Amino acid sequence: MNTPDHLTNDLLIRALDDELTPEEAEVIDPHLRVCEACKGRSAEFRFLSGKIESLVATAAGPAAAQRQALAHKLETQARSSLARRSSRLALGFGWTMALAASLALMAVLLPRWIHPVKPAGNTVAQVQSGMFEVDGENFILLPYSNPDLSTAAPHIVQMQVPVGSLAAAGITFEPVSNGAQGMDRSVLADVLFGMDGQPLGVHVVSLD
Amino acid sequence: MESVGNLAMAGAVWETDLLEDTSVQRLILEQYDREQLSLRRYVAFLGIDPETAFEIVQECFLKLQEHLLARGDRTNLRAWLYRVAHNLARNSQSAFRSSRTDFLADVTLAGDPPARSNSAEQDLLARERLDLMNSAIQALSPAQRDCLVLRSQGLKYREIADVLNLSTSTVGENIQRGLEKLKELL
Repeated sequence: MNTPDHLTNDLLIRALDDELTPEEAEVIDPHLRVCEACKGRSAEFRFLSGKIESLVATAAGPAAAQRQALAHKLETQARSSLARRSSRLALGFGWTMALAASLALMAVLLPRWIHPVKPAGNTVAQVQSGMFEVDGENFILLPYSNPDLSTAAPHIVQMQVPVGSLAAAGITFEPVSNGAQGMDRSVLADVLFGMDGQPLGVHVVSLD
Repeated sequence: MESVGNLAMAGAVWETDLLEDTSVQRLILEQYDREQLSLRRYVAFLGIDPETAFEIVQECFLKLQEHLLARGDRTNLRAWLYRVAHNLARNSQSAFRSSRTDFLADVTLAGDPPARSNSAEQDLLARERLDLMNSAIQALSPAQRDCLVLRSQGLKYREIADVLNLSTSTVGENIQRGLEKLKELL
């Protein structure tokens, strides 16, 4: 590209906006450093651009703290979206209620021990999405758990849970046990039940 | 006997979704911190009152969450946000067109009050300059005005083109002609 006598408005403005191609910039930038006429026109465009920016800045009014409100709305929307997705999954695979019912029944019939979670002392703490901690024990959140349900006074039941039920709920083990026989097996797990008697989470203790 | 340590939980669909939702919310709040003021200015400059501009901007970010959770395209989210804001603002204007006849009439009235240290005379001069600029911008074509306002918020030509559904070269022409016209008028 030859060095022009003076730059066009298009080039001057694109130079201001950092929109020149590398080839154009190679010629334009040195010219702008030495040509007073082009520097002056460039300054005019910069000044005008600044005035537009100032005008637009006055339009919004004073700032306000709305971030917290947005964070709350996002959380509500995400929960409702997740509930819809979970419900679609449940309809698709039909395991949700079956697992909930089997765990609830087993809680009555097969408890090895039951202990209530101490309500005081902040023993229940959300540690990350999908996992939560109760009494220092990490539980995997079960999909039909009610996210709005208080976990202030749940209880934990230790029981044998069929591997097949857990697999149907999306919880699988690696290395995968060999075929159907593996699915017939049970694992010892702590199941956390909420105040409504529905299982909230599961923590596998051992394969015994 | 297999030890508990050899067990690895995997494939919990809802867990993945929850983790993804959290990551999406974090991404959105980061975008909000970066873009909300510029977006609000842009929407307000389109003639929307400040309170409605707040609502429109929040709506943009809620729509962004829906978009991301539906695994929408993540390239150039800034242009995506401005496009949604632009459309929401235009829809809002259509709904209230009968009560709002002057596109930019309220822009200066909605602005921050002048600093207390300014004298009344300085305030008046500042207002007059803003009004003059406002009148000059009103004389531009809508495309020139939109391009210049988006440019004033730091959008690149490619992003402006995405927001307004124009080609990059048309954006460049609108910006050039808009600035040339303003230079003549002021």
